[in-house]
Amino acid sequence: MKGKNLWVLVALVFFGAAAMSFMVSQDQKKGAPWNIPAEYKSMKNPHAGKADLVPVGKMLWAKHCKSCHGNMGLGDGPKAASLKTHPGNFKDAAFQAQSDGVIYYQSFVGRDEMPNFEKKILEAEDRWAIVNFIRTMK
Amino acid sequence: MKKIIIFLLLVLPFCAIVMAQDETTEPEAPVRDRPVRSPWESGYLIDNPTSLIPVKNTLEFVIQHKFGTIENGRSDLWGLYAAGSNIRLGLNYVLFKNFQVGWGITKKNMYNDFSARWTLLEQTRANRVPVSVTLYGVMAIDGRSQEYYDGMRYNHSSDPYHPLTTYSYRPGQRLSYFSQLLIGRKFSERLSLQAGASFTHYNLVARTGDHDKIGAHLGGRFKFSPQSSLIFNYDVPLKIKNISEQREWIAHPKENLALGLEVSTSTHAFQIYLGTADGIIPQDQMLFNQNDWKDKGLAVGFVITRLWNF
Repeated sequence: MKGKNLWVLVALVFFGAAAMSFMVSQDQKKGAPWNIPAEYKSMKNPHAGKADLVPVGKMLWAKHCKSCHGNMGLGDGPKAASLKTHPGNFKDAAFQAQSDGVIYYQSFVGRDEMPNFEKKILEAEDRWAIVNFIRTMK
Repeated sequence: MKKIIIFLLLVLPFCAIVMAQDETTEPEAPVRDRPVRSPWESGYLIDNPTSLIPVKNTLEFVIQHKFGTIENGRSDLWGLYAAGSNIRLGLNYVLFKNFQVGWGITKKNMYNDFSARWTLLEQTRANRVPVSVTLYGVMAIDGRSQEYYDGMRYNHSSDPYHPLTTYSYRPGQRLSYFSQLLIGRKFSERLSLQAGASFTHYNLVARTGDHDKIGAHLGGRFKFSPQSSLIFNYDVPLKIKNISEQREWIAHPKENLALGLEVSTSTHAFQIYLGTADGIIPQDQMLFNQNDWKDKGLAVGFVITRLWNF
């Protein structure tokens, strides 16, 4: 009988924890549409298609982006669960349909919980390297 | 020989710049040679500074901690529960490009230290400047109560059995200084090394010690993943008779060897290591370290940095 009670307790704790994890997930809201300035919408990527910049972008991604956005841009990094807004899924066709300039603005100018990275990633080439790496997540 | 090596290390980077300027007179469009990406992940390499200085107006908070030595084994959990731990809390601020000032306070001797770090030259990607050159200076104030100094008495006679004379306290005797020249190079995406020379001076030392010490420094990192590296530093206080006040080396400071792991993110760097020195500020390590890494004189330590941009 005691053993049975123990199993019931374990099951309750397991399902309780599972239910609470769903609650946290549901509390996270989806990001509102971005208000992108026109200059960024029309901004051209001067390093588009440069394969040699992809490893640079991958290295910078690991340092600056991975903790929230995850290894592959799924929004599943270790810090993502503590955010009020889900970081988004970069594999989504809708995300990848955006122009490089729009992704540049979202990534480095930021808003709300998405911090500004202009003072952390100083060189434009390095920023475009990250954009190029994000493009490999299709 | 040492003078020739120091001369070459100082002059070679400047030669590279002169050559680079000559090349720009050719008709081809000049190519902008930018500094190498992330030669280091942080301004700290365990117990040494690096050439990496964050962007202007960056505030850095640093926690440096050293536990007790591992010599007592599991009885004090290899030093983690030992009484002889040391901690320093510091703040650094980048006043202008490649120039940082800092202040910190340390448990051992209640040091208050004020530092400045200036990266004069940055290594460039096209190798026109093959190395980085950094200057580092620290002035520290021993913050222990005056009773400690009042209790010190000295024998000013050449006779070792002469009665001790009364010691007169002067505030300037609390001061100590450390200056260092570091030359570093990022050899590849994985490997960066730096070497340096330093001069340490204490205004007041024990009878058996020296006021001045010249040191040699070596450090490096081997990056084995985008965020993680193996790191080391090796600091050697040199036995130079010409600047020593002692006839023989009685309590010459031991070298400081440390080996660790570094993990860095956008705003943090975390280093955990096994190292020798119990002191944290460099002049203390160069003049007073008596822990011997060959005789269980190793302790676990860590460095955590946090950056804020303004």
